[in-house]
Amino acid sequence: MTDPRQRPRRGQGELEALVLSALREADGPATAGWVQERLGGDLAYTTVITILTRLLGKGAVTRERVGRSFAWTPAADQAGLAARKMRKVLDAESDRGAVLASFVTGLGPDDERLLRDLLEQDRREGEG
Amino acid sequence: MGVFVFLPLVLPLTAWPVARLAEQNLHPRTATRLLTALAVVLALCSTVCLALVMVVGTAQLPGNPLPDGWSDPEVRAAVPYDEVVGKAAIPALGAVVVACARTLGRHARVRRRAHRALTGLPDTEVAVLPDAVPYAYALPGRHRGGGRKGRVVVTTALLDRLGSAERRALFAHERAHLAARHDRFLLAVQLAARANPFLRPLRTAVAYTAERWADEEAARAVGSRRTVARAIGTAALVSLGTPAPTLAGLAAPGPVPRRVAALLGPAPAVRSWPPVFTSVGLAAWGAAAGTAVSAMSSANSAVTMVLILHAATPL
Repeated sequence: MTDPRQRPRRGQGELEALVLSALREADGPATAGWVQERLGGDLAYTTVITILTRLLGKGAVTRERVGRSFAWTPAADQAGLAARKMRKVLDAESDRGAVLASFVTGLGPDDERLLRDLLEQDRREGEG
Repeated sequence: MGVFVFLPLVLPLTAWPVARLAEQNLHPRTATRLLTALAVVLALCSTVCLALVMVVGTAQLPGNPLPDGWSDPEVRAAVPYDEVVGKAAIPALGAVVVACARTLGRHARVRRRAHRALTGLPDTEVAVLPDAVPYAYALPGRHRGGGRKGRVVVTTALLDRLGSAERRALFAHERAHLAARHDRFLLAVQLAARANPFLRPLRTAVAYTAERWADEEAARAVGSRRTVARAIGTAALVSLGTPAPTLAGLAAPGPVPRRVAALLGPAPAVRSWPPVFTSVGLAAWGAAAGTAVSAMSSANSAVTMVLILHAATPL
């Protein structure tokens, strides 16, 4: 007889995948407590920490110290995270051109037509 | 001293013609260096004179920390301007200090945050960010606190729209910004424009010539001016919808079409200094003369002031 309340025993790989997918749903770095809560609380806090540490060893997550605990980030998402942070930095500056030399600045009302004419002219000369 | 103390406040006007003409007629490297140097000297002189006017005008205000001897009738006779001007100089000088401090603070903040945003990424010179918004810029390195290298930041949205030659042009352009430390020129002219609003046209001009300088360097690196022109044109067109940062381009063509047109035209000649009897030569010499006069009158005023106050201060 099996107790119907007892959950089937899950393999290590499955737990790692669960923790990792929970972490991916986070908007930025998340704490182990957040992950535990996200998983519905059916994993002990220490288990979450153990799995995160194992994932860290595999290079699947990174962590940074926040106060007295760690904030965890899925490694594959580092670039996406950096992109989101950078957008936040740029959007916060109304006049970003004053600080960072962008490759191109915005186009004025007539600039688009002028630019298309220039490129078109160049293309025709290149062909001719 | 007399009226000379006010000259440096308005002499930046002599740099306006060269700011307009240097863009088209000088090599962008020469133009950037010349205009930045003019802006820095003129801004320093203007600020020194503002401080002198303030000292004279406020020496008699009650409760000021300056020695009473500084407001003796002899001193006031040597400086024939009443304290209204001096009082006006206090908020003006305060505004200059606050504006410059805010500009510096904003530079440091944006740079620090941008470096922090990239911390998780591999330490490569080019940081490619997966983002649907197309943009690219050069993030200057930091000297203090770790000495980080400058990095080129570019999004996948922009790279996807460029061919391989155009990508090389883009990277060469941003590397040129980093290698020649264009951020320092841009910061210098911004501070100058804060110190004296008459220097704003120089800031706009240097922002443009620094881009042209990087364009020409990129053209040299990839061996084709047309490739750089195409890269800029394509990048600008895919960035459409990103709002234009200024409204200044409403009448005149904006900086991007002018850069493309310049690259599709002949390469700029490298001259250290333009000949005198051309419009750009006259403008450059005019600006140089204005700057020299500005430097001399502020030095003259400062020395006069020190001598008078030294004589008036009981030691």
